[in-house]
Amino acid sequence: MSTALIGAPLNAAQLYLDGVCRSFDGFKAINGLSLAVAKGELRAVIGPNGAGKTTMMDIITGKTRPDEGKVIWNGDTDLTKIDEAGVARLGIGRKFQKPTVFETHSVEDNIRLALKAPRGVFPVLFDRRSAEENRRVTEYLDRIRLTHLRAETAANLSHGQKQWLEIGMLLAQEPQLLLVDEPAAGMTDAETMETAELLKSIAGERTVIVVEHDMDFVRALNCRVTVLHQGSVLAEGSLDHVSARDDVIEVYLGR
Amino acid sequence: MTRLIDLRLGLFLAALFAVTVLAPLATTLPSTSALNLPSYLIPLMGKYLCYALLAVALDLCWGYAGILSLGHGAFFALGGYAMGMHLMREIGARGVYANPELPDFMVFLGWTELPWFWYGFDMFWFAAVMALLVPGLLAFVFGWFAFRSRVSGVYLSIITQALTFALLLAFFRNDMGFGGNNGLTDFRDVLGFSLSAPSTRIALFVLTAVALAGCMLLARAITISKAGKVLVAVRDAESRTRFLGYRVESYSVFVFTVSAMMAGLAGALYVPQVGIINPGEFAPANSIEIVVWVALGGRGTLVGAAIGALVVVALKSWLTATFPDLWLFALGGLFILVTLALPNGLLGLLDRLKPRQAKPAAEVPA
Amino acid sequence: MPFRPLTLIAAFCLAVVLPFLASAQTLEDLIARLPDGNFNDRAAIVAQIAETGDPRAAQVLDALLEGELEQRSADGRFVRVTGSRNNQTATDVLTGEDLGPVARRSTEAVRVNNALRRSIRTALGVLTLMDPDPARRLAAAEAALRSPSPDQVEALAEAMAAEANATIRIAQTRAHAAAVLASDLPLQAKLDAVAVIGEANAQVVQQTLNAYRNAAEPELAAAVGAALAEAESRQRMWSQAQNLWFGLSLGSVLLLAAIGLAITFGVMGVINLAHGELVMLGAYTTYTVQQIIRTNAPEYFGYSLAIAIPLAFLLVGAVGVLIERGIVRHLYGRPLETLLGTWGVSLILQQAVRSIYGPTNREVGTPDWMSGAWQIGELTLTGPRIAIVIFSLAVFFGLLLLMKYSAFGLQMRAVTQNRPMAANLGIRTGYVDALTFGLGAGIAGLAGVALSQIDNVSPNLGQGYIIDSFLVVVFGGVGNLWGTFAAALSLGVANKFLEPWAGAVLGKIVILVFIILFIQKRPRGLFPQRGRAAEG
Repeated sequence: MSTALIGAPLNAAQLYLDGVCRSFDGFKAINGLSLAVAKGELRAVIGPNGAGKTTMMDIITGKTRPDEGKVIWNGDTDLTKIDEAGVARLGIGRKFQKPTVFETHSVEDNIRLALKAPRGVFPVLFDRRSAEENRRVTEYLDRIRLTHLRAETAANLSHGQKQWLEIGMLLAQEPQLLLVDEPAAGMTDAETMETAELLKSIAGERTVIVVEHDMDFVRALNCRVTVLHQGSVLAEGSLDHVSARDDVIEVYLGR
Repeated sequence: MTRLIDLRLGLFLAALFAVTVLAPLATTLPSTSALNLPSYLIPLMGKYLCYALLAVALDLCWGYAGILSLGHGAFFALGGYAMGMHLMREIGARGVYANPELPDFMVFLGWTELPWFWYGFDMFWFAAVMALLVPGLLAFVFGWFAFRSRVSGVYLSIITQALTFALLLAFFRNDMGFGGNNGLTDFRDVLGFSLSAPSTRIALFVLTAVALAGCMLLARAITISKAGKVLVAVRDAESRTRFLGYRVESYSVFVFTVSAMMAGLAGALYVPQVGIINPGEFAPANSIEIVVWVALGGRGTLVGAAIGALVVVALKSWLTATFPDLWLFALGGLFILVTLALPNGLLGLLDRLKPRQAKPAAEVPA
Repeated sequence: MPFRPLTLIAAFCLAVVLPFLASAQTLEDLIARLPDGNFNDRAAIVAQIAETGDPRAAQVLDALLEGELEQRSADGRFVRVTGSRNNQTATDVLTGEDLGPVARRSTEAVRVNNALRRSIRTALGVLTLMDPDPARRLAAAEAALRSPSPDQVEALAEAMAAEANATIRIAQTRAHAAAVLASDLPLQAKLDAVAVIGEANAQVVQQTLNAYRNAAEPELAAAVGAALAEAESRQRMWSQAQNLWFGLSLGSVLLLAAIGLAITFGVMGVINLAHGELVMLGAYTTYTVQQIIRTNAPEYFGYSLAIAIPLAFLLVGAVGVLIERGIVRHLYGRPLETLLGTWGVSLILQQAVRSIYGPTNREVGTPDWMSGAWQIGELTLTGPRIAIVIFSLAVFFGLLLLMKYSAFGLQMRAVTQNRPMAANLGIRTGYVDALTFGLGAGIAGLAGVALSQIDNVSPNLGQGYIIDSFLVVVFGGVGNLWGTFAAALSLGVANKFLEPWAGAVLGKIVILVFIILFIQKRPRGLFPQRGRAAEG
């Protein structure tokens, strides 16, 4: 996957949403949303329920087509023309709000399926397991601390372990951009902080966009924050900056 | 590391091998012997094995990829028709109307020349290729449209059922050129060997057993490969698979096509042993019956599917002969039983019975 | 027209002989003279018999026409002999008195040939044209139109003049015109006749005028050609109307069969493959009700459907509740298993009905008030079809009202939209599920009552509708009753418009393939349920 877009002429943003609109049955879930995220950035997206956070992720990952607007990847690719698998192959990984792993597969196989490798039917059909592959699987298992559960069926994991496994799968994809939807949901405080540390460590090398409700978690991420409201950007800046703004307070507390 | 032949499959293949060797031998014993097997039973056993193969084909796409096709009978019938067309041509001038070129039913309909789609079927290899290619192509095109449009679950089941229903109506028409209502029958020989000769029957039976074993190994190889794991992943969490970058529709089309070709092979082996193929094989009810074989044996186990087919078909043969009125009650009851009480089929029941730490229990091969 | 020398001769004889014969001759005298002379003489006598105006003339001529008029050798009495060769019985042709069996050689037949038969038919035509019974007069006029004969020009003109009933007079006028065309009357009379015929319905125009398409007179040929062309275009227009009507009729059948599914599948998300069998049960309920009425109180047969409708709804609805409580309830959220389980139910129901009622078709009667047909222009609307269209509309709108305005409908929608929330609000969801399924089943029962009027009632009745019904629901958009409505009617009409050029079977295949492709293009149907939830 090419990352040679440093100094791209159009703009430096790795992901650039331009005037995106999407309505469902008359309700405008996304309304003229524009957003730019630089390569290697860690960005938190917050907003009240119905602000359009999940729909935004759906649009970036090709699950939902916008009615208007563009989503430019690396300056030259319009993601709105590509399906989910195509977007994933470009190097965009996504973690769902509800942990989604392959329940009937072993923990190891979950990671193995996520490992960066050709995704076509025939290469996969004739894929033979190599020592290198095993090494990489072990590496990711170590990182998410599930090595001891390697052979366990994923269905038998606890909720938190599934969250970790999914993050591990996300890492195994070696994506350039990680979209993480409410990773702290259902986690203990300690786990939440651990997750924040992990995401911070990934950022820099990769771009990370986190959608979150939990303000403590966002504070722990210590990054630039985008506030969504009614499908468009209400405010952007540091958490202290945006949380000082009256309109943001209004949106969060006013109703 | 998952082994290609695990204990279950090994036991099943061993049993299959034993039957394949012993049954023909038993026909050569003197008829006074208690172990004598009347040779007319050989094609019947061959027919059962064809059904087992059909069940394995359906299990591959339903059990592993979650594609519940209610139209697999159509692929089976298409394979059967391809072989039937060859056998029809091989009758040659020995038909009632003694026309060397045209099958009897065409002469009867007053046709004067062979329709273009019958060209080539005088050659065995061509018919054999078509028996795989036609079902495969139909499945590929149909699957490509369906899976690309994200038609899945019950919607897919309903349109596969509509597909086989449309084919049923089409093949009933005389002017389709496939013998209409009566289908294709009165076959004489295959590759020059008389179909009624005991040796031909044994050869076909052995061939069916080999095809069954081969397809089971192939299906097993697919399911334990990484692609097989992707298929199960699709079944369990389709969107997760997509977001990992797997193009789900390609995998679904692939397994659907392979499965349809296996069904076509089963049909092609079925026709010379049964001696007839008619549009009734396209009936939606037939296709749904295949599903209960797989469900009873245990979906997603391959061996279970084959055993389920053998058990249900044997039950059917016995009941329709002794208590014909009871057969549909039994079949209907079976459907309800497996959905309510046996979600994992007979093999699942065995798994539950065995103690958790003990070595895997051996299932009883049919 | 074919040259008929004998007819002409007969007519000639009639013309010559009549004036000389005393018209006072009695029927008896004339019959007595029948065996004498040649066929031409008999033709003359036949005409005279018709002239007598004797009410018994018709039965004599009828016997003669059938070759059953014979003279008893012993006493010369004229009898009508019927029965097979070795078992013949005789009746007196004039009095109708039963004379019992006759030996084979004791009577001698009055022979007839084809020319004479023609004369007899003409004479009978004249006789019945003036019959006191209007129904017979109409039949006679229509018969004369079907086989026009120049001999009847006069008789028809006479009948027209005397006729008081407008409908009969129109029929006679047309028959007269047809007879004029067959005669050698002057051109102008024939042109007028073409104009008269041209006003009849297209089929009559074609039947009557086709023979004159190449008439010797160019003017006549042109007039005939124009009338035929006009009739053809009229027929084409009406056949479109006919297709539309048949299509609507088929569509309303589909609607009836699918609407119950639209509830169980569309509202509850349950695939009920036993739906077709529930329809079948409704049909058998009708049959059973009719059997009981026939044996116990045949005079109330007209009410059989009125009894069957609520009974089928309740009975089949109860079967539905049983299926839901027994099987479907355990399978919510597992649609493929539901599909298989209900298929099992369908097999059991089919075999149960086969065991009880037998595998053959059962006859379900149509009450008198529903049979009959209405003619609009060239379009025939039969009673049962009209009744089904009205009935299915009534069921559809009734259901719509129930869903929208009743407390049950409200609870049903609440449960389907948000089950846990509904449960928290105190709605007994299990109870609502069972009733919803029962409602769908009950409507299937109603469909069965309706289908029993137009289809064979056999254990396989349901099988013929299940796939179509599913396609209707899926095509219309799951969860949308109006979608089901639009899908059923449009598929019905499309089917009937395809049939004329593709044939019934091919038309059906085309529709199936179309729906298969359509579902792949728009998996959510014509009228998809909208909203973000549906995007999932």
